[in-house]
Amino acid sequence: MTDLAVQFAGVTKKYPHFALTDIDLELSTGGIMGFVGANGAGKSTTIRILMGLVHQDCGTVDVLGHAMPMQQAVAKRDVGFVSEDMRLYGPLTLAWHMNFVRSIYPGWDQRYAEDLLRRFDLKVEQKIKGLSHGQRVKAALLLALARRPRLLVLDEPTTGLDPVARREVLSELMAVLADEERTIFFSSQNTLDVEQISDQITFIDRGRIIESANKESFLDRWRRMRLMLPPNAVLPRLPGIVEVGGSARLPVLTVSRFEPAMVAACQDAGVAVQAVDAMTLEEIFIVNVQNRREREVA
Amino acid sequence: MNSSIVISQSDGRPMYLQIMEQIREKVAVGEWAPGEEIPSIRMMAVAIRVSVITVKRAYLELEREGVIVTQQGKGSFVATDPGLAPRLFDREFNEHIEQAVRIGTLLGLSSQEMALRLRDTASQISENQVRDEDLAKETL
Amino acid sequence: MNTFIVTRLILKDWYLNRPLFVAALFTGLLTLGAVSAAKGTQIAVILGVIVLATILIGMGAVIMSSMVNERRQQTLPFVMSLPVSYLEYTTSKLAGSLLIFFVLWLALLSGMIATILVTPWFPHGLIPFIVIMAVEILVTTSLIAAVSVTTESQGWTIGVTQVGGLALNAVGFSIARMPSIGHTMSGPTIQWSSASIFILLAEFMLIALMIGIAFYVQSRKRDFV
Repeated sequence: MTDLAVQFAGVTKKYPHFALTDIDLELSTGGIMGFVGANGAGKSTTIRILMGLVHQDCGTVDVLGHAMPMQQAVAKRDVGFVSEDMRLYGPLTLAWHMNFVRSIYPGWDQRYAEDLLRRFDLKVEQKIKGLSHGQRVKAALLLALARRPRLLVLDEPTTGLDPVARREVLSELMAVLADEERTIFFSSQNTLDVEQISDQITFIDRGRIIESANKESFLDRWRRMRLMLPPNAVLPRLPGIVEVGGSARLPVLTVSRFEPAMVAACQDAGVAVQAVDAMTLEEIFIVNVQNRREREVA
Repeated sequence: MNSSIVISQSDGRPMYLQIMEQIREKVAVGEWAPGEEIPSIRMMAVAIRVSVITVKRAYLELEREGVIVTQQGKGSFVATDPGLAPRLFDREFNEHIEQAVRIGTLLGLSSQEMALRLRDTASQISENQVRDEDLAKETL
Repeated sequence: MNTFIVTRLILKDWYLNRPLFVAALFTGLLTLGAVSAAKGTQIAVILGVIVLATILIGMGAVIMSSMVNERRQQTLPFVMSLPVSYLEYTTSKLAGSLLIFFVLWLALLSGMIATILVTPWFPHGLIPFIVIMAVEILVTTSLIAAVSVTTESQGWTIGVTQVGGLALNAVGFSIARMPSIGHTMSGPTIQWSSASIFILLAEFMLIALMIGIAFYVQSRKRDFV
């Protein structure tokens, strides 16, 4: 049985204008979880609680078997954390930072670090304040990757990077997973990346987890069915219809629990099924969030 | 063994299907020989930058089809069945026919009309091929 | 308490702020020189000491502020991503800044005492007063450090510094007026009365209290970043 690298159970955190409610999350060792949500949905707060930087009001958080935030010092020995709002020391060089981190982490792999320097195209002697945004992100990632942590926690690791840099970062992240004892938890606005490299996907909206599932089965469940209704026919009653779009004669149903039997059900009801299209993660994300917002207003 | 599988994000099909198709093609043309070891699920995932779970699904499906074989603790291998390659192409042919028939049905074509179209297309393509060969000979 | 990580963090802060520390030491020594060179009445001497003390407190505040700059410069997430607990982080900040200040303080106090002992026109009786005032400066600086670390606010730090400076003046004058101390100040010998010993002890206890409160407040924080 694979143990869990990350586990949240019933985690709640209240702020004056925002609340994380009842967060449950499980990530097995060796897997990679993509954490998706709109701005302000609670991604960063969740990640901070995961790192022990914010203390939850109730619920338990376990990282690599250590309870957070109490045992954060021990847990963080095996964790590499990079967040979008993280800054390194401007007046100091990348070389200083590398030596600093190396002096703290016995697992530092100097050869790997130099390899990353080349691939990320970074110069050690450069001061941090002279780096562009993309270079700073890559520098922070290098510092996290080179100590070969068992768990990588990344808050928007590819945001603000040009396409080439993004691809390099994704390659490095995937390379980490070549070792099945290492795990990655990352949040991202880039649904394409999440869709491609995640084993598991978790959706968060307005402080609540909407979905947390195996990516393949998740994507399998969502479909857009394009139908053609004969003049006096009625839309068939199907479970899990999230949205009805299109026109009266040519409706488009978005379903979240698709079964092949639904096609037969439609045809039996005299409704022609023009197409059953898969949906990208982005489309699912948008439908999910919009749908919840509309229901809240109603 | 260099993994030259390329996943296209603009291809509408799920990634695992793309992977399966490209692996089947590699086996069909003999690039991956019967009995030869292929990259492990993790190695493949890292090489093509696709999640392990997707590659795992592709491998499982391929195993079910008899194209590859995975041995716990040893790795994954191309199946040793000698008749594999023609079977794979055969399977692809059938899949395309099925798809054409489905679309034809939606268009309201009868099976005779569909068969006729198939024959016409086949002869058209072979005519084009002959004409292209003649053109090539003329320009030489 | 992981002393290794605390040490690394302190060294990091010292390295980062080294130009500031050098400037502080330089300013302090300059002021000391100016005060020492001034001759004059007892009042002038006391005023000179208070000027020196105020400058020293100012330096202290600057040192404290620079040490708790992490939040302003957004480097706090980086530091907290290291294997360190809140307690260890707080320790490194307090210890790091107070240690540096202590070096500065000790240098200036020794300089002052040496000046008194060596120059003929400074009565040696001044020394207990000087020492009490010097430790009073430590008390004020501990307060500034505690406020700085817990509030991480420039505004609060400056506010407390100003209050501390004023309080120092008040304390300075009232202690100088105390009979057991004031009378011996102009004398040629160093005399420690029970009152001065008592005051010194109270000051040390205050320092311990400030630091204790700082740790307590930090341990109650639930949102560290």
